Amino acid sequence: MIQTNNLTFQYTKGESTLSFPNIDLKAQENLLILGKSGIGKTTLLHLLGGLLKPTSGQIYVEEVSLDSLSSNKLDIFRGQHIGFVFQKKHAVQSLSVIDNLKARLMFSKKEVLIEGVEVLLEQLGLLDYKNSRITALSEGQLQRLGIALAVVHQPKIILADEPTSSLDDENCTIVMELLLGQAKKTNANLIVITHDQRVKPFFSNTITL
Amino acid sequence: MNIWKISIQNLKTKPLYTILSIFSLSLSIALLLGIQQLKSSFTHQMEHNLGGIDLVVGAKGSPLQLVLSSVLHLDNPTGNISYKEAKKLEKNRMIKSVVPISYGDNHKGFRIVGTTAEFVALYNAVLQKGEKVKKSMQVILGATVAERLKLDLGDTFLSSHGLIENDIDVHEDVLTVVGILKPTRKVIDRLIITNLESIWDVHNHEVSEEKSHEHESQVSHEDGEHHEHDDHDSGNDQNQVEHKNHHEEIDKEITSLLISFRNPMGLLTFPRKINESTNMQAALPKFEIDRLFEYTGIGFTTISWIAYLILLISGMTIFISLYKMVKERAYDLALLRSYGANNFQLIKMVAYEAIIIASLAFVSGCLFIKVGFKIIFNFMNSSYKKHMLLELTLNEILSTGFLVLVMILLSVALAIYPIIKMNISTILSHEK
Repeated sequence: MIQTNNLTFQYTKGESTLSFPNIDLKAQENLLILGKSGIGKTTLLHLLGGLLKPTSGQIYVEEVSLDSLSSNKLDIFRGQHIGFVFQKKHAVQSLSVIDNLKARLMFSKKEVLIEGVEVLLEQLGLLDYKNSRITALSEGQLQRLGIALAVVHQPKIILADEPTSSLDDENCTIVMELLLGQAKKTNANLIVITHDQRVKPFFSNTITL
Repeated sequence: MNIWKISIQNLKTKPLYTILSIFSLSLSIALLLGIQQLKSSFTHQMEHNLGGIDLVVGAKGSPLQLVLSSVLHLDNPTGNISYKEAKKLEKNRMIKSVVPISYGDNHKGFRIVGTTAEFVALYNAVLQKGEKVKKSMQVILGATVAERLKLDLGDTFLSSHGLIENDIDVHEDVLTVVGILKPTRKVIDRLIITNLESIWDVHNHEVSEEKSHEHESQVSHEDGEHHEHDDHDSGNDQNQVEHKNHHEEIDKEITSLLISFRNPMGLLTFPRKINESTNMQAALPKFEIDRLFEYTGIGFTTISWIAYLILLISGMTIFISLYKMVKERAYDLALLRSYGANNFQLIKMVAYEAIIIASLAFVSGCLFIKVGFKIIFNFMNSSYKKHMLLELTLNEILSTGFLVLVMILLSVALAIYPIIKMNISTILSHEK
């Protein structure tokens, strides 16, 4: 469950202020946010994920106002309830596939059995690569690892930033199906921001910035 | 998974940087520990070799030279003094003990010291095997001498004139080993000890021969007295009596007297009295050694500062490496923040990396210095000197370790600035 109210953001004083439409997502509802480059899509995603603080307005995740949380509590909240999928560079380079997932769980302070992690890796076709270095993975495998990292701790919200922009049509479909499937399995809200129109058919709920 | 494991993995992915950082820091630590070890060994040697010697009385000259030659057995003596004159000092009631020493010969570079039985007690040395010197031409060996020259009880050797090894001016009188001392880590380990008579016999013998030759050139060969000395090695009673006669004929000389006082009052009045009223010189070992420390201290201080400077440079290198690493891995760190890690956890991660580097460098530094000294002493072919080297105490090692830790934590404190100032959103938005 996620709700925003009159959200605005200004990077530095004097610069133009970004204003965002209100969002109101019930449990298990998904949202696609479309918009051109530079319109503030990533900024909105980072605001929803607590990586940025809004200049004005409120964000409620699971009825908790992010604004009311201290920096430390916000880190914990983010670690436990939010999962990010980034466009590229999904994982820590010095750690192996499995160690990245273990680190993700460690920081989210969630107890997930290693068997559960391996099941997830198997679902995403990465089990054979669990001890591989990040640099040894292909673009498609990295994208799938990004999804695994976003859902391994069973978050309430999955925020995906341009998850398909560098993928061909086939992989675009695979990634979107995986994202939607994992969101459904974990009962999470999925919010995808992109300028990639190929994603549109996967969502019934869309906002254009 | 824990933060330590992440730090170790981070270091593993940059082996060259890790090894170079460990190597440069360990060299600085080795240098620091090495200087500390040499300095404390030097101080220990100087202070321990003073034993209970409060005053040295010898021929006039440099007091430092007198102390160095008579106490530390490093320099040439200032000359000789009359044993008869020196003996008079014994009567002073302030004096607890007087140990005369006399030397001028060596065997393969090791000094031969003629003295009394009390000399060994000055260094708390005890016999490992054999017995004390009972008669002329018997010697006991310091532990290092026995080890280096591979001499044992009953072995014999000839002494060379002077304090430097030579094969030219070799005395004919044979010296016999009757005892070997246990190692003491003091200067006595490097000495060959005999009685005063041995020294007088060897030298007076030569004087007699010279006199005899002079006499021969002036008068006829009626008197065969001097020729009998040629076979004094036989050690028969008649010879001993004749030697005694020689000692009485020729004024016996010694190199110096090592004096201990009953109370410190002696130190105040006695040296001045000797310096003013006799043709001898009194030198205070503690005072002279302190003076020596003043000179050598400058060298040690300079080298210590160089070592601290190198340590500082290593610290700066580590700071630059950590700072560079934090900047280069900004995306990874931001990613970890998105995983839920807080700033403190990221700082811990960087600090652990630095601590791992510092710990490995510290252990390597300690090993370097151990192995380094061994190699240096072996290379210099003076392995016996390593016995003089004092092991550093745990406190000394830990204080260096603490210094390194402070420096590392300071480097970390400066390097984590980008983490504290990190804008996760900006970093994650600018992924490449």
